[in-house]
Amino acid sequence: MGKLGVVIRREYLERVRSRWFAFATILGPLFFGGVSIGQIVLASHAAVSADASHIIVIDATGTGLGKRIVDNLGAGVSMDTSKATLEAVPRDQLDSAEARALTDVMHAKYEGYLVLDAATLAGTAAVYNGRNASALQDIDHVRDVVRDAVLTERLVSAGLDPAQIRSLTKVPLQLHTERVTEHGLGGTGMSGALFGYMVAILLYITIVVYGQSIVRGVSDEKASRVSEVVVASAPPDTLLAGKILGVGGVAITQQLIWVFASAAIVFFRAPILRALGASETANIPLPGSISVAGGIELVLIFLLGFFFYAALFAAIGATVESQEDAQQASLPVTMLLVLSVMFVGPVFLAPTSMLSRVVSWIPFSAPIMMPLRLSLIQVPLIEIIGTIAGLAIANLIAIWFAARVYRVGILMYGKRRSFGEIIRWVRIS
Amino acid sequence: MNDLAVDIRGVQKGFDGHTAVKDLSLAVPRGSVYGLLGPNGAGKTTTIRMILNVIVPDQGTISVLGRPNGDTAVTDRIGYLPEERGLYRKMRVRRVLRFLGELKGMNRRDVDRRIDEWLARLNLTEWDEKKVDELSRGMQQKVQFIGTLLHDPELVILDEPFSGLDPINAQALNDTVLELRQRGRTVIFSTHLMDNAERLCDSVCIIAKGTKVLDGPVAQVRAENAGRTIALALMNGTSEAVSKILADKTLIDRVDNSNKTLELELAANASAKRLLEQLVGAGADITRFEIVQPSLHKIFLQRVGAVGVAEGMSGHG
Repeated sequence: MGKLGVVIRREYLERVRSRWFAFATILGPLFFGGVSIGQIVLASHAAVSADASHIIVIDATGTGLGKRIVDNLGAGVSMDTSKATLEAVPRDQLDSAEARALTDVMHAKYEGYLVLDAATLAGTAAVYNGRNASALQDIDHVRDVVRDAVLTERLVSAGLDPAQIRSLTKVPLQLHTERVTEHGLGGTGMSGALFGYMVAILLYITIVVYGQSIVRGVSDEKASRVSEVVVASAPPDTLLAGKILGVGGVAITQQLIWVFASAAIVFFRAPILRALGASETANIPLPGSISVAGGIELVLIFLLGFFFYAALFAAIGATVESQEDAQQASLPVTMLLVLSVMFVGPVFLAPTSMLSRVVSWIPFSAPIMMPLRLSLIQVPLIEIIGTIAGLAIANLIAIWFAARVYRVGILMYGKRRSFGEIIRWVRIS
Repeated sequence: MNDLAVDIRGVQKGFDGHTAVKDLSLAVPRGSVYGLLGPNGAGKTTTIRMILNVIVPDQGTISVLGRPNGDTAVTDRIGYLPEERGLYRKMRVRRVLRFLGELKGMNRRDVDRRIDEWLARLNLTEWDEKKVDELSRGMQQKVQFIGTLLHDPELVILDEPFSGLDPINAQALNDTVLELRQRGRTVIFSTHLMDNAERLCDSVCIIAKGTKVLDGPVAQVRAENAGRTIALALMNGTSEAVSKILADKTLIDRVDNSNKTLELELAANASAKRLLEQLVGAGADITRFEIVQPSLHKIFLQRVGAVGVAEGMSGHG
């Protein structure tokens, strides 16, 4: 085995054997699998909370509007059979009824109270005051019920039969969405989006976590003076390359374990979902239409991005000796990554926009943005090639820069170095 | 085959406008123990790092074991113990030694066999599965030393090997260095402890402020620097006539009469012969008149002078 192989093996095995690796590797799939399944369980249990029916409906319209609302409020998504309390009052007693209701809500006897008056009947306004006034789903549900009831009330006034109204106004429309690629239809849009989002976050976490691991590794070697022993046996460039490749190998190993474990969780989701009381057929965000070629592109872009950042992190590690300095010094590079993540939202919403294209070309953000776009849409081949070529060039520059800083830095002990000094190292080495 | 283990010619190295090593040339014969002596900051570590190709000289050439330094074939035949010891603290002893051995091109089987031998020899066998940071400082030093010699290098470079060693470990190091010489290995070590250098070295090079002050075999260095110090013993103490001669500044620079034997430092243009003639002429009853070969410590103080002392030099430290 050559010297590079020896260095790679040490970097790889020492990390894979650590307790931290085992911990993170087990937690990863539990976390991602848990998030997927948890979403479904939460969605099926708590689409609209029962709070929406635990309210007082004060009806000062003198019509059957209040009763109609009370009848419909309880039959929400949660199939709650409890009913809201109806209080029909003449218009002149509305204020005192409101005051009583307010006291009851303040004493937590009810969640809130809904006031129906002439304005409600006219379809312009209703008042809802409650402890849950900021729960958007509850409020939407109340508003929908009031609007339907007002509509029904008007239609009844116009002489229509209530049964006929129900059948005419019930439109249980579901919008089925599917992605269009150059091969035709492929995968549901929503599952691709969630998958893409998870890929972007996963890549971001991996680069940050393993980048920091490289900074720590290099600065530790420097502080403990091991680097001097090692560079007397192998060239610094070999040491640098071995470190980046070894740590990259650890990241890939961990992700492979995560992918297979997550796939296993998804494969065995039926019993898990059943045990948690959710529908087995619920929609788990699956990659759907990621092809083999797409997978290779994704891995290649990620690896190039990882090596790019890893080289920068290694250079930073070579300039510091203490962990505190390491944290501070790596901040600029970490900020580049955080900046990239700020674009996840915009790219997620409009993956074909000019902004999305630009951020998936810039080497700093490309390793996260391009995989995200690849998961969301069919990215033109020329753009993929452009990104890969850009990252490859950026890698050459970063590795050239890092090798020079590393060579000088690991033997320079003492105070933390200024940026100007580091540039001088690059020139002299 | 070239009979020099290390051949340094006209080497210069500067950092940030400060010259660490200036026009240095030295030759280390194969199979010898060579001392690189000098005060702190003299350029010893820089010189060693240049021999190892860890840093590159601005000028000059260095060849090691007959090849340009930095040649991979040469790197694997050198064992290096840096001044500030360095091991991976979280690694187990056997794994860190295996890593160091394999980095020198050894295969797994050989490296494990040699680790077993060395651990047994230094009483560390039961520690081989412990992490480095669980070991005492002394044990870590031993592990580092094993790492240096594991691949049985032809050239062993030890940077300040005696610093921080207790007397027992210092003796063990002494014995190991002598054993290496017996087996035909070359050992270069830097030190500012002159006693150690005098006891162990065949040849030395004294450097100060990045410049070579002198070099050569120890016996030759001492002989070349002899002739200025004279040990004088008189049967009946100093008579008035003798005292007058000893006070003559054209003849004697300095008299140290702290012992029964007087130590005289000859003046610049005086000779031992003239001094002896005058003493005999004055009727001195001489029991001993000897041109003393000075110790390395003394030579060092003479040649490097007060600057070296001020910069942390010590003959006995």
